[in-house]
Amino acid sequence: MVRWTRAAGLLLGGLVLVGCAEGPEPAPLQVEIYRAGQQAIAKRTQARDTGTQPAPTRAFLDSLDVPVQEMIVERSNVVAYVIKHFETRDNLPGQVQVWRTNDDFSVAMRNGVLISTRGFWGDLLSSSVQVSGSEPGPSHEGEHIQMILARDNREVPFAFGCELTDLGQETIEIVERRHTTQHIRQSCEGRKGSITNEYWVDKRRGVVMQSRQWAGPNIGYLRFRRLTD
Amino acid sequence: MKVKTGLEMRLGGIVSGLVMLCSGAVFAEDASDTAENQVAQAAQTGQSPQVAQEEPTLEPLPQTTLNFYGMPGIVDMPSAEMLPEGQFATTVSNFGGQTRITLAFQPFDWMTASFRYIVVEDWNIGNIATYYDRSFDVRMRLFKETRRFPSVTLGMRDLAGTGIYAGEFIAATKTFNTQAWGTSRLPGRLKVTAGLGWGRLGSYGSFGSTGNRPARPAGDLGGNPGYSQWFRGPVAAFGGIEWQANDRLGFKVEYSSDAYVTETQTTSVFKRRSPFNFGVEYQWTPRTRVGAYYLYGSEIGVNFQIQLSPYKPNVQPRLPAPYPVQPRPDPQVDPVAWSTEWTASTAAVAPYLRDQLAPLLVEDGLLLEALDISAETAELRFRNLRYGSNAVAIGRAARAMTRVLPASIEIFRLTLVSQGLPLSTVVIHRSDLEQLEFENFASDQMLVETRFTDPRPLSEAAVQAEDLYPNTSWSVAPYFTPGFFDVTAPLRLDVGVSLRGSYQPAPGWVIAGRINQRLFGNLDGGTSSATALPPVRTDRVLYAQYGTTLNQLYLARYWKPSPDLYARVTAGYFEYGYGGLSTELLWKPVNSRLALGVEANYALKRDYDQLFGFRDYRVATGHASAYYDFENGFLAQLDVGRYLAGDFGATLGVDRVFNNGWSVGGFFTRTNVSAAEFGEGSFDKGIRFRIPVTWFLGSPSKRGVGTTIRPIQRDGGARVHVPGRLYNQVRGAHRNVLSDQWPRFWE
Repeated sequence: MVRWTRAAGLLLGGLVLVGCAEGPEPAPLQVEIYRAGQQAIAKRTQARDTGTQPAPTRAFLDSLDVPVQEMIVERSNVVAYVIKHFETRDNLPGQVQVWRTNDDFSVAMRNGVLISTRGFWGDLLSSSVQVSGSEPGPSHEGEHIQMILARDNREVPFAFGCELTDLGQETIEIVERRHTTQHIRQSCEGRKGSITNEYWVDKRRGVVMQSRQWAGPNIGYLRFRRLTD
Repeated sequence: MKVKTGLEMRLGGIVSGLVMLCSGAVFAEDASDTAENQVAQAAQTGQSPQVAQEEPTLEPLPQTTLNFYGMPGIVDMPSAEMLPEGQFATTVSNFGGQTRITLAFQPFDWMTASFRYIVVEDWNIGNIATYYDRSFDVRMRLFKETRRFPSVTLGMRDLAGTGIYAGEFIAATKTFNTQAWGTSRLPGRLKVTAGLGWGRLGSYGSFGSTGNRPARPAGDLGGNPGYSQWFRGPVAAFGGIEWQANDRLGFKVEYSSDAYVTETQTTSVFKRRSPFNFGVEYQWTPRTRVGAYYLYGSEIGVNFQIQLSPYKPNVQPRLPAPYPVQPRPDPQVDPVAWSTEWTASTAAVAPYLRDQLAPLLVEDGLLLEALDISAETAELRFRNLRYGSNAVAIGRAARAMTRVLPASIEIFRLTLVSQGLPLSTVVIHRSDLEQLEFENFASDQMLVETRFTDPRPLSEAAVQAEDLYPNTSWSVAPYFTPGFFDVTAPLRLDVGVSLRGSYQPAPGWVIAGRINQRLFGNLDGGTSSATALPPVRTDRVLYAQYGTTLNQLYLARYWKPSPDLYARVTAGYFEYGYGGLSTELLWKPVNSRLALGVEANYALKRDYDQLFGFRDYRVATGHASAYYDFENGFLAQLDVGRYLAGDFGATLGVDRVFNNGWSVGGFFTRTNVSAAEFGEGSFDKGIRFRIPVTWFLGSPSKRGVGTTIRPIQRDGGARVHVPGRLYNQVRGAHRNVLSDQWPRFWE
């Protein structure tokens, strides 16, 4: 009898602490809080467990049959690998490519120029960029406006006037492979600050091989390196 | 695109650490100002904006610090500063046996309002050993600080209480940047304040008078604004200096014009030996600040401040990236894909498409209710189970439809459903989705192309979700029931376990119930005060004596009787105190800011044991309601009708509702019950707030936590709490809210 009472007490205590729910209706608040706590712990554990993975080798990359880019979030120095998920054309110049991580972050680029992010906090919702035809990277100078999701679900524009500087030919190495590229600097100035985007463009292949691009005040700069075609 | 599973596993694992990036992110304090100004300036002048050298950031401005009254100020005296718009502050301060707990809110950038609860020990006046009281303050900025001139603010303290803290002021504050002391990401700031005070703030060192300040009438029950006292009587000067040496440390010194006459002369709560107060404060975290002080030449004081901004989530909310719109093939290249031959067998195709679409929606926390397709149009009825913003749900549902539906279907009709009730239909052209997803200003352009309409009946060809009805949901979870401002304990609380269940036999029908088992608490030790009215709420303590209770058990029916109309009938046990029959009809056009409703209830008072019986009190109660959703984020509601005690009157409520689900507001009710009949407080009033779970957990959720706080709960102006009232369910799916949140359509 005592054992049953104790078991019932433990069960009740457990339910009090965690709660549980079934069915199509949203779970009560307390259950949601518990589940969110569980997920946060799982994410932290996963991040800790995977934080020291070795960088991929060229041999490994050559075994892949999908385009992959390395993406580094400068502010946190987090390294991610994005796989080309999708490409399309719309009414604007250039080709749009969506690159996605396996854990649901994505970036979209128009001719290699960053136009949106998804899955971060304070995403870059859209951008007006200066590209033309199939020419990789920014094609000409002019206005660059980035729309940022911030402040109570509203969209905040960041407007810049941008200039391009061709810094000449540079040979860069990306995971044991050398590429001859044109180094282009895009210097953008706005009332509250300035940003500098850099592109290393392989004009022969029509690809931005490496870049450093600003994704808004919440994310900061992202660095990309094209690992495989 | 085909992707290797093994590759995904290997690469995907590496990037999971991305979630950590948010912890270092910063948020907009003046973001909209910055960006809008940039664009406006560029548009107006045609010139490049003024150049700054650093990467644009959205670093928060330095904190406005709070005084012992929980309002912007020095130590015990006010300043002319304002909190950032939307800021929500909680302060607990103590000195000389006086504890003040204040909730302050900044509804506009020029106005601060607060509610305060105070405890004064060693009061010993009459038969009151310890004095408890509630009070409201309001302060308004008259002039904003400029490079040359200070900000000027006018304020009224305890403007509607029993008046022991009553005082008015006009203050000016000028801020100067100084060199930061030590390492700091912000410069130092020196703030100099000078002001004039009346009432309590004119009680020490007065140098003149502006007429006679009448005493509060004998037997005043509080609650009414003390107009006749405002800015009357002796006037005195006060002032002080605050030096925020760096982004952490601050020093304060002030000259107080409060003589504390009652506390130090009528009785002896503490000794006042000096008008000077000194303090040092430390910004413990971005949201919390602590301070230690030496006050009035005799007392050590402490102050603990928490400031929350709806604009700055506690945990940055992150949604998994959506799958992009799947474009259709070029009809010239693939005409077969565009064929409408499938319409010859819609009865077979529709269930197939439904079964393809439903799991995609489930991945995004959406539940398919019905799919109605024809050659060119598809209507999806679905529930949003996950997102606080319905714009996210609509955006994700639309993208899922592009992955499944035949190319010939150009028009998507997305109908949000709650409790089986279709709330609104959002009409989108598929070609717009395809063209605009990666466009400049994609959100604005999509909004321009989107129509919001009243839901229409489904066609006979519509297919319902399989196995969705009937359905059962249940949960077991803890509950917490607070009780505020009992005369013997300011905060009482019951904690227990709640078993909830609901059964939906068909769309629009709900049978739901809730059983509470109290585990521990002290609500049962509260006091039941005497009342001149039927004890419709003041007998709450009698209900709190029982541990196992049937809190709710009801049958509800929701339906749309005609365009723009929503209806509800609920019968059963609504809440701890009342059951009966409740009917409601709401008129709310999808594109209108105005809504009108009527609710008629026949309420029966439940037995104290909260099982199945009723007491011998029943009343017909109900209201005609008008709701208006202002463009600036304010929501007003006026209810006119009959209340639980049989009194007739009206309730006006105003809430500041943020797009992210935060809301802070207040209300008051005046009925034909006199102040004497009502008792302490003179009439019913209170404040209420809600904080969305997403704001503090980061994970998407429709839920929020919040409460209503009344200075005192009496029987006049009381209403029955019926579950599932219509307006709040409907409003979030209508144009005003959806368009305000539209940037999240693409999130």
